[in-house]
Amino acid sequence: MVSAIHILSTGLGAAFLLGLLPEAWRGRAHLVTLAALALMSAIALSWVLAFAFDGQQMVDVFTAGVSPPFAINLRLGMAEAALSLTVCLSGLLSALYLKTSLITQGRRAMAVLLIAVMAFCGIILTRDIFNLFVFVELSVVSVGGLVLLSDDNRALGAGFKYLIVSQVVSILMLLGVIFLYHAGGTLNIDTLTAANAAGIGTGGLAFFLLLMAVVAEAKPVPANGWALDIYQAAHPAFSALFSAAAGTAALFAVDKVLVMGGPTWPPVVAGIGLFSFVAANVLGLSQTHDRRLLGYSSIAQIGLVLGVVGLKDVVGEHYLFIAGGILVAHAVAKAGMFWLSGLVAERKLSAWAVLRKNPILLFAFATFVALLVGLPPFPGFYAKWELIHALMAQDRVVLVALILLGALLEATYLMRWFGYALKRGADLESVQFEVRKVAVVLTAALGGWGLGYVWGELSGHANLLHSMALLFALGFVVLDGLPAWVKNTVAIAGMSAFFYVSYPGYDPLQLIFASIILLGGAAIFVAGYHERGRRLGFYPSAMLMYAGLAMLIVADTTFQFFAAWEVLTVGSYFLILRGKESEPHALSYIVFSLGGAFALMAGFALASGGVSEFAIQGLSDVAAEAAPWVFVLLAVGFMTKTAAIGLHIWLPGAHAEAETDVSPMVSGILLKAGLFGLFTLLMTMGKTQMYGVELTHVLMWIGAISALLGNLMAVFQEDAKRLLAYSSIGQMGYALFGLAMMNHLGWLMALMFVINHYVYKSMLFLSVGGVAKRTGTKLMYRMGGLITLMPLSFVAVLIGIIAMSGVPPLSGFGGRWIFYNAIMTAEYKLPILIIFLSGPIAFLYLFRLIHTIFLGQLKDEHRRITEAPFWIVVPQMLFVAFLLGFAVVPGLALRHVDAYIAQFFVGGGLSWDGLTITSPFGYWSPVSIMIVTGAIFAVLLAWLVFLNHKAQKVKQFNIVFAAERPHRPETTHFAWNFYAPYRKAFGFLLKPYATWFWDGVAGAFHGVAETARRFYTGDGQVYAFHMLGFVLVVYLIAMGM
Amino acid sequence: MVHIAMLTGFVLIAIGIYGALTNRNILRMIVAFTVANTGVNIVLVSVGYMMGRTAPILDAAVPVAEAANRIIDPVPQALVLTAIVIGLGVTALMLAYAYRLYDCRGSLDISRFRDLKW
Amino acid sequence: MDFEWIRIPHALLTLLIVFLYGLLLGAVIQKIGARAGRRHGIPFYQNYIDLIKNYALRTTITHGFMFYLGPVFRLTGGVGLLLFVPTIYGVAMHENFSFAGDLILALYFVFFGSLGMALGAGESGHPYAAIGVSRGLSQVTAAELPFAIAVFAVALQYQTLSVTDIVAAQQGSVFNWTVFTNPLAVTAAMMSFLGSMMRPPFDVVLAPQEIPIGPPTEYHSAYLALMQSNRAIFPIAKMVIYMNLFFGGAANWPVFFLKVFLLYLFAAFVGVVFPRFRVEQSVRWFLVWGVPVAVAGLFWV
Repeated sequence: MVSAIHILSTGLGAAFLLGLLPEAWRGRAHLVTLAALALMSAIALSWVLAFAFDGQQMVDVFTAGVSPPFAINLRLGMAEAALSLTVCLSGLLSALYLKTSLITQGRRAMAVLLIAVMAFCGIILTRDIFNLFVFVELSVVSVGGLVLLSDDNRALGAGFKYLIVSQVVSILMLLGVIFLYHAGGTLNIDTLTAANAAGIGTGGLAFFLLLMAVVAEAKPVPANGWALDIYQAAHPAFSALFSAAAGTAALFAVDKVLVMGGPTWPPVVAGIGLFSFVAANVLGLSQTHDRRLLGYSSIAQIGLVLGVVGLKDVVGEHYLFIAGGILVAHAVAKAGMFWLSGLVAERKLSAWAVLRKNPILLFAFATFVALLVGLPPFPGFYAKWELIHALMAQDRVVLVALILLGALLEATYLMRWFGYALKRGADLESVQFEVRKVAVVLTAALGGWGLGYVWGELSGHANLLHSMALLFALGFVVLDGLPAWVKNTVAIAGMSAFFYVSYPGYDPLQLIFASIILLGGAAIFVAGYHERGRRLGFYPSAMLMYAGLAMLIVADTTFQFFAAWEVLTVGSYFLILRGKESEPHALSYIVFSLGGAFALMAGFALASGGVSEFAIQGLSDVAAEAAPWVFVLLAVGFMTKTAAIGLHIWLPGAHAEAETDVSPMVSGILLKAGLFGLFTLLMTMGKTQMYGVELTHVLMWIGAISALLGNLMAVFQEDAKRLLAYSSIGQMGYALFGLAMMNHLGWLMALMFVINHYVYKSMLFLSVGGVAKRTGTKLMYRMGGLITLMPLSFVAVLIGIIAMSGVPPLSGFGGRWIFYNAIMTAEYKLPILIIFLSGPIAFLYLFRLIHTIFLGQLKDEHRRITEAPFWIVVPQMLFVAFLLGFAVVPGLALRHVDAYIAQFFVGGGLSWDGLTITSPFGYWSPVSIMIVTGAIFAVLLAWLVFLNHKAQKVKQFNIVFAAERPHRPETTHFAWNFYAPYRKAFGFLLKPYATWFWDGVAGAFHGVAETARRFYTGDGQVYAFHMLGFVLVVYLIAMGM
Repeated sequence: MVHIAMLTGFVLIAIGIYGALTNRNILRMIVAFTVANTGVNIVLVSVGYMMGRTAPILDAAVPVAEAANRIIDPVPQALVLTAIVIGLGVTALMLAYAYRLYDCRGSLDISRFRDLKW
Repeated sequence: MDFEWIRIPHALLTLLIVFLYGLLLGAVIQKIGARAGRRHGIPFYQNYIDLIKNYALRTTITHGFMFYLGPVFRLTGGVGLLLFVPTIYGVAMHENFSFAGDLILALYFVFFGSLGMALGAGESGHPYAAIGVSRGLSQVTAAELPFAIAVFAVALQYQTLSVTDIVAAQQGSVFNWTVFTNPLAVTAAMMSFLGSMMRPPFDVVLAPQEIPIGPPTEYHSAYLALMQSNRAIFPIAKMVIYMNLFFGGAANWPVFFLKVFLLYLFAAFVGVVFPRFRVEQSVRWFLVWGVPVAVAGLFWV
């Protein structure tokens, strides 16, 4: 093994060597720089590998031939090696990226870069506090030099502000070092710790000053104005290094120094870190400059790690896993983002639209955002899971809430940015990027995936990147260059095969969900044959969602469940984002979903008492005092997905603005994830009381009110897809209501809704989408009379609305029948009344849907349109056939589930003898109903045909029109504001209280951000004053504690 | 004597920081920081000083055997040397910045460089 | 339950009796209404004549497929509703096809005809038809609510959803009728009843006295004849349900005729006394007056 000291000596030596080279050899000088950085990385890497695979023990490297405390020593363990590697690699890639600038600036700039990297490594490696000071000062000087690489003149000002602040910091640090030496008689960290120097005389204050100096290097809010200015103005490749390497080094320095101070200081550092995390994320909300935004995000992430450093004792054995996970994810992603920003010409967030045309860069951008947000399968995801559990194990509920709040805010602005890049800004011609820079970015992105794999292996849970379903979905990233029909076929075949293979392992409940997800998903994919070209990005997103869903239903542990939940959330977010106008809706979807996911994570952590590997079945044994809170958290998490009222505002836009075949996926299938979660929750936890309130009773109310308001809002939509979207809210309300009844038939009814809702909502979304494709509008009043032109779509809608309204003889009636039987034994009667009211309201919007589109007056501009595209009609016909079949033999699907549910409740099941289904209260014979109705219908139709077979088809305007002549189709088609009187009666219920509330919340955060960021005045002296004030305030708080 | 030196050091630090935070002129700020740095260095030295001892030079006057009892602590002095060098480097960099800032704006007023903020 | 073919002629017999009685009853009630307004009114056989005339008309046009099917849906709804409920208690030949489903089937089958006819009328392209449907649907959502709650109360009271069992539970004495054992629920249900009978104050849906409006606007000849047939059968089918649930059912035809007549008369009586509500007014009326009574009835159980 090469000694670790050569990481430093290589950098230093190469820097001197550069000084000796002739000024003209710039290209060669650059090669020397790269070679040195590569060698440094190689040394670090060899150590990382040795620690990981060869069981290498931590080593001390002695200098000057004397052991400490008489000489400086370096220490190299796994953490040091890994962080040095991070630093050196980001240096190497930045140097590569900076090639042009460095060659223009000459060998001196290269030397400065080498010194910077060397200094950061030194900060990590050294065990001597004065040596630490030297490396910090070296990094200050080199950073000061590298800031000047920027083309932006303002970087000068930023660099000088940095120097002012670092002067103040260095004064603090030197004073700290000397008085610590005075107290402990040594400069060696380990000896000082052993001597408890911080506890002797002035040692405490000295330690505080030293600690504040290293903490200041981690750029805590609010003493970090200088750092933001640097991020904003410096060359992006330098910012990458500054964020990834300097941040890493500073954090490790804090970790090292902190051990000297005893138990007083870790909580202080944790407080500073978490405050920075939340505050920087709030402030980040109102940023419009990409690099400054990255700066805020950078500060937030480093703040989070700082918090973890402070919580070292709390998180215990997982410390390195957690802190390291967040840190490397941050380093890779932030460096990658800064490198990306170097490819973007303008500094507006929407200017990142130039990346849109380049799949590689878009993939990288998505990877980095996912890394930062902590989505699976990246390290941050595993780390956050462990962190939350470790904190929960110690009952640090407030910290959990703070961390999750901060993470949600960060996700908000990052996802918003991603949405801007994909959807806003001018649709530019594809720009040619330098291959070298793209390669650097791609390396970082792939590095992120590699780290994801490593962290998965380390996690002690199942590595997500070993999951077949996920790998299959990720395979579509590679296949994305193929034509859409090929990928479509692969997707359908893959999902069917997956179902076939998994089939024996499912229990009846899983089987129902799996059929909907895998077979149902494949059925919707049939519509995908309609798309021409390659349809870039669609298949990876869709398959990611399906993979998540498939993993969800077979999850055994809370970790698997949560990971699957996040995977499906991410996939569906990308899917929804594809719609033309869907950018704001996709954002609100992902924010609500992540919020819900965080509630789930907190709930799981609370339930398991902080044990990170916890069987879902264990939810049934949660301690009594925690149980109600677990129930509430989980229920809220699941209800964000089912869009229960109050948490529903994301749904209408997300479902309505999605693409034609995406709407059925996200409505018919995705919503079922929430229901599956609620099933799981109620199956395991059952009835739970909080302060004497029965929580399932509350759920009943929420379900009933969702059903009512969802239906009511659907009635007043002019946009056909929005109508269907609101109706989903109502339908999910029904299902929730059924579940919350906590009796056998209630659950059966919920399952019936699961199946039915999938079928008819998929079918209706496809029909309406097909119509919208042909007519070019989704507004119903602009359509009309399409029945003769699009008969198959009409039939699909007709069957769909009959099934959905619950009119016999179709399968919707089965749901209603089970509902009535279920409420016979329900404990609570009042919420049932709301359901009674909402039932008939469905007729209103369903009739409106079919009437205003297909009946009434055909518009002149639509006279030449034809039936919806073939491949969009095909799945609709499949659904029609299924609905008719399911109406006659519901027992095929339901009787097994009925038997399965019986294990949870005593009695109340159905009996399935012959053709008649019997409950304790009534009976129902689907076949008889179908035959009787069909026979009467046929006889009467024959009678009418006999009388009326000569009926003559007349033209459109040939109607009896009370002494007037119809003027135009537009004025004759009664469609707009169809239920005006109803609005007069019920309008008061439709005030968008939920929207107002959430707008208020969002507005409050943005307002705070807008006001609070004015704290950073831009004046270097003010920044120095902030630093002094920060130190003082922290001291006062720490002393007061 | 030690306390006077140390006190002087702290007073210089205070003066330096006060100067750096109140003077708008960049050159004056740099000078103020050098004053503060000097103060820090004096503090450093004074921490290592012990009454009645001699300089830590091992020669005929101070044999190695007695050194531990007769010389003052050499470490702070070594540190001071390093700190001075580093301070010089930083000061030089700040001056270079001042030069370029003046080139860029034609002014040395720190409050003129506030276009990066919020 | 085993199916026997003899049920079909038996059911047809029920249907025929109800059909003929329904036509007669419609005319009689209309005459009573006219007399209350100091008018002479139509002869009692008027409906038979109208029906025969309309079936005989040969001038027929169609607006399309759904338009053609609309009346078929409508009448299927009426006939089906009648046949899914036992008409005469304790008489096997008039139990019809009630083996196919219980009370819930009947409740939801009510919508089958309305929905089909609304669709057919929609295809005519006549705005008045659509306006009528919009008003009708709006009103029915509120009007059905007290009834639905009352049905729930009754089902809870007798712990069954089978119509036959509910009637059986009311036998023995007049005071076993639901109207005496749960008067509140029955009161609420009767409010709903008014809403569904297309008489004032809830007849703005069809607005029969003024311009033609509502689904039948474009229907004529045999189409209209089918709908008229339905107007004879459907109200009675509905009243059978009311009678069975709340008024002890009927064990023979004379009692059946009487109870149905009285129920019809009740609607007509209210109709001649009160003026017409606008849709939003009737919606509010059902929610403000009907629902609380029904809820009280529910908690009475």
